[in-house]
Amino acid sequence: MGSSKKHKEKEKDRDPEDRHREHKKHRHKDREKEKDRERDKRKRSRSRERSSRGAERDRSGKGEKSNAEPRVKREKLDPAFGDNSEPGPKSAGGDASLSIEETNKLRAKLGLKPLDLNENKKETGTKEEPLVAETINPVHIKQQAEIREKLAALKEKRLLNKKLGKVKALGDEEPWLDDTAAWVERSRKLAKEKELAEKRAKLLEEMDEEFGVSNLVEQEFAQDKRDSYGSRHLKGLKVQHKMDSFREGETVVLTLQDKGVLEEKEDVLVNVGLVDKEKAEKNVELKKKKPDYKPYAEEESVDDMLVLKPKSVLSKYDEEIEGEKKKSFRLSSGGFVGGERERELQAIRENLHNQAQSLDMPSLSLATEYYTPQEMVGFKKTKRKVKKIRKKERAGDLLIDDTRNTDFGSRSRGRGRRQDEQQQEEEEGAEPRYVALETSSKPRDVLQQSDDIRMADMDISDEEDFVSPEPTAFEEDEAEQELQKQLEKQRKLRQKQMLKDSGERVAEHMKQMETAEDDENDPDKRNNIVFNATSEFCRTLGDIPTYGLSGNREDQEDIMDFEKDVEKEGGGQSDSDMDDNVGWSTVNLDEEKVQADFSTASTTILDEEPIVNSGLSAALLLCKNKGLLDTQMLKVARVKNPKPVLANDNYCIEDKMNIDDKYSRREEYRGFTQDFKEKDHYKPDVKIEYVDESGRKLTPKEAFRQLSHRFHGKGSGKMKTERRMKKLEEEALLKKMSSSDTPLGTVALLQEKQKSQKTPYIVLSGSGKSMNANTITK
Amino acid sequence: MFSRRWFPANARECERNASDFLREQTTEASEMIEVVCNDRLGKKVRVKCNQEDTIGDLKKLIAAQTGTRWDKIVLKKWYTIFKDHVSLGDYEIHDGMNLELYYQ
Repeated sequence: MGSSKKHKEKEKDRDPEDRHREHKKHRHKDREKEKDRERDKRKRSRSRERSSRGAERDRSGKGEKSNAEPRVKREKLDPAFGDNSEPGPKSAGGDASLSIEETNKLRAKLGLKPLDLNENKKETGTKEEPLVAETINPVHIKQQAEIREKLAALKEKRLLNKKLGKVKALGDEEPWLDDTAAWVERSRKLAKEKELAEKRAKLLEEMDEEFGVSNLVEQEFAQDKRDSYGSRHLKGLKVQHKMDSFREGETVVLTLQDKGVLEEKEDVLVNVGLVDKEKAEKNVELKKKKPDYKPYAEEESVDDMLVLKPKSVLSKYDEEIEGEKKKSFRLSSGGFVGGERERELQAIRENLHNQAQSLDMPSLSLATEYYTPQEMVGFKKTKRKVKKIRKKERAGDLLIDDTRNTDFGSRSRGRGRRQDEQQQEEEEGAEPRYVALETSSKPRDVLQQSDDIRMADMDISDEEDFVSPEPTAFEEDEAEQELQKQLEKQRKLRQKQMLKDSGERVAEHMKQMETAEDDENDPDKRNNIVFNATSEFCRTLGDIPTYGLSGNREDQEDIMDFEKDVEKEGGGQSDSDMDDNVGWSTVNLDEEKVQADFSTASTTILDEEPIVNSGLSAALLLCKNKGLLDTQMLKVARVKNPKPVLANDNYCIEDKMNIDDKYSRREEYRGFTQDFKEKDHYKPDVKIEYVDESGRKLTPKEAFRQLSHRFHGKGSGKMKTERRMKKLEEEALLKKMSSSDTPLGTVALLQEKQKSQKTPYIVLSGSGKSMNANTITK
Repeated sequence: MFSRRWFPANARECERNASDFLREQTTEASEMIEVVCNDRLGKKVRVKCNQEDTIGDLKKLIAAQTGTRWDKIVLKKWYTIFKDHVSLGDYEIHDGMNLELYYQ
């Protein structure tokens, strides 16, 4: 209704259409008329019959509609329309509205209840003609509220009373409580009722029997009884626990395990407590975090029952994939469970266990070097037969005992034992004992000597056998004497033998020694070596190989003489000899003097002269002998650092103090200088080279630096010198570098490797290990 | 009115009279109203209905008058879409109110 203009336009558009229709015109006209009429009627009260009202309503409805339209529009409408009221909806133009009757019809068709017409509706009036509203009376309103409250309270009370009225209160007395007569009455009544009830029941039963229903009834009851659950129904039920978890004598209540409604599996009995306990145990096991994978575990394990259990791969996931396997057992008929089978299995298991042999080796223990007492018990020492010997053989016995007691180690012990046995065998044989003893005694001695001597002794003993034995009886003293004699003999033979061994080598030497000086040839001192300071010293020089052996000067003299003789014969060797002599002479003054003495003593004066034949050395010797040479040995010089050549040898500092001195100026030459004519052709090629301490040639820069250092008296600082040193080192390294190869000598190594492998190539393997320096070494 | 009905005989009567009295003062819930439905495209319909009627019933009445199907009609007021199962009284739709007619 707000969009008046639009509406107006539409209406305008439609208006020409409307005007085609006469009834519409009429309607418009009618509407206006009705409007007036309606107003009049409105003022009257609404208590009228419906039909009349309906008619009026119809008009009034239309009127309302027309009233709702904007005034402008209505004014436009032609008031000359006829009084033709037509009910029915208008599709176009104007508001379509149905009359009440029509509406009711429509509602009836749709299934709605008819319009509820309110009489009081129009009290408030319309917008156009507002009625005077009733004054709001607050007192009035309050009164209304109070009344409402009261009404509500009364209602509540009523309801309560109704409810409570059914319950008997304490206060309400039963008539029979106090009055005995009433009570008697009551009890009689109750009894009567009981009887009646019984009678009724009987009657019913009789009736049932009559109709043959009693059987059925009984059957029903019996059925119920039968259907009730008995122990026979327990056969075959599964109990999902281990049989071990049930102990004898205790009662465990089992309940059906939960399962889905639609699951068709069989029933399983469990005990809740046991289930929880098992779960807890499993959790504890998991918490322990046992290793899942044992790499050293056996591939296949054998069960208790000797059943081969193959080890599957990733067995730890089996539970996850296949689901937890639960141990269960079934009840037999009547709900009993026999554990016989389990017990049998257990018995078999134990048997097998006992029969099993462990594969463990006896544990390793430290080996002892000595026998334990236990082992010693089993170890029988062979008792030696201590033979009764005659007195004469006691010496041998003693010998035997002595030698037997001494422990020379296993080898000797072994030999001794073996020889003991041999001895015993011999003794047991038919040989005369003393011979045996003799043979035995010899080996005893042999134990103490070295191998070769033993061999020798063996020979000796053989010899001895034939020599020594005296079959007559001895007294003790004689035996001892004989012992001593034998020992002596043996010692001598030993010595002889030693001499024999080393004899050839030193034979000549000894002869020489003997010939030279018989004094010294004592048998005692034959083996002695005489040390002499000078001879030792001379020996260390090592010029004469044979010199150091005996260490006697006299020998040397002899050799000298010998050499001198040779020298006389031919001059070829003389140089070397002379050199020796010269060497001698230069090193040791004393010696030289002695030598000189010797030489002079041994040779004639004529020997000095023949310098012509010999070379320079002879001449030098002669000179020296004559005292012409200074033979003082210069100290062997360490190479001393030559003093650095100072640059200012070639350079002089002009003393400027003297310049202005008048006397010095007088002395100054201010003349014309000219080159010498004589020296015209003299064109020296002057090359001044400066050198540093190590001998390198210096560049002009470095030379100047050197000069300045010298001039100022101080050199470079620490950094500068370090840098200089580093540069020098680098230069040295550079010089050392090989031009054809890398600093590490790779090419050389390469070639070496190729040579060793005999291939023209080298394989570079992937890992760095093979390319180590260790593998590419020569 | 007070004078006429103020002295009841018993409690029950009192109740009844009081309720009548109260009823008189207020407008009834179930009364006939006329609602105007406009779709701004030329269809403007005045529909008579009860306060207790639901929006669905109203839609049916509108459909009968406009010639569309009732389930295609959407009644709105600005952005408030009136739901089918609620009564006009609950929506506080009074007599003479304008409703916007849309189609879905």
